[in-house]
Amino acid sequence: MADSRVSRRYAQALFSTALKYDVIRSVESDLDLIVTLLNTDAGFEKFVLAPYTGREEKTATIDRIFSDRITALTMQVLRVMLEKRREEEIEGVRDEFVTLRRAHEGVIFAVITSAEIMDDGQRAALTTRLESVLGKKIEAEFKTDPRLLGGIRVAYGNYVLDGSIRGALSSLRDKLKHDLLKQQ
Amino acid sequence: MNKYALIGLGVLFVVIGFVVKDQAWTRPEMFAGLQLDLGKTVTNIGVFLVFIPVINMYFYVPLKEAMDARNHDLESTFTEAEQLRTQMQTLKVDYEARLMKTEAEARDQIQNQIKEAQNLRQQLMSEAAERADTLIRQAQLEIEQEKKNAISVIRTHVVDLTMAAAEKVIGENMDTEKNRRLVAEFIETVEVAS
Repeated sequence: MADSRVSRRYAQALFSTALKYDVIRSVESDLDLIVTLLNTDAGFEKFVLAPYTGREEKTATIDRIFSDRITALTMQVLRVMLEKRREEEIEGVRDEFVTLRRAHEGVIFAVITSAEIMDDGQRAALTTRLESVLGKKIEAEFKTDPRLLGGIRVAYGNYVLDGSIRGALSSLRDKLKHDLLKQQ
Repeated sequence: MNKYALIGLGVLFVVIGFVVKDQAWTRPEMFAGLQLDLGKTVTNIGVFLVFIPVINMYFYVPLKEAMDARNHDLESTFTEAEQLRTQMQTLKVDYEARLMKTEAEARDQIQNQIKEAQNLRQQLMSEAAERADTLIRQAQLEIEQEKKNAISVIRTHVVDLTMAAAEKVIGENMDTEKNRRLVAEFIETVEVAS
């Protein structure tokens, strides 16, 4: 079972080292590659996470696969994690690393959900507008949810900017119910 | 006279009687034709004198003592009976007084009990009435609350149904162009609360 405290600790160590050697983007891209492989290749995932596979065997195999594809720093961290039986934390380390990188760069991560797929022009316009409004650079993840009926919803940090029909109807419903309760 | 003196005197007479019985001057013809034997007579008197204290000692005194004792017993019995009668009389008077007192107390107690029962009845009735009023008020409040709840539920249902209908109408009327306009409008108007 993944432990976010452990992931955070590995990620902080990795990030401070990556920052020192100015390889943050490379390390992030390495971690993305490994996590993507874990999520898409069931055989690889089973091999890495299997408790009955020996540490040496795992380290040797990972070395063969990734040694010429990822940075030495990422490879070193990967070896340590395999050595310590922390394979399950790899995805958590990637997430925490990205969070640390965004905090370091002052970037806001926003999930933008729309009822229909937005075209590139709208995406660019929205990102620019949000950066202008929030005063920070935005990293956006675009999603589609037909239940919104129309419009978009932007979620970042603990905030939500709701411009969807669903949100407007929910607000209207809440307001009507609140008014009804007040009448009693 | 002392009994021993009488016995002595009797013995003396007997002796005298025996002594004189054969004397010539004691013969009957000496008393002018009176058939009196003086010796026998004196002897009889002596015997009589001897017997008087004996009879007195062995018959009369015990008899008298027995009679006295009997009299004493009878007197004691009568006295006791009289005492018992007096005591009984006293007890009777006491009993009657006590009976009267008890009757009076019983009457008072009954009156008190009746009064207490009436008070209790009054109290219970007022409590019951108060409780009934409370229950009625509570029931009215509950009915009122339930009514409000029912109205609230109905209104909430109406709101939900209205919103569901609105969603359906909007969903049916929504198209890509309208959605693009909504997104464009959001991009233009989006603001962040400071």
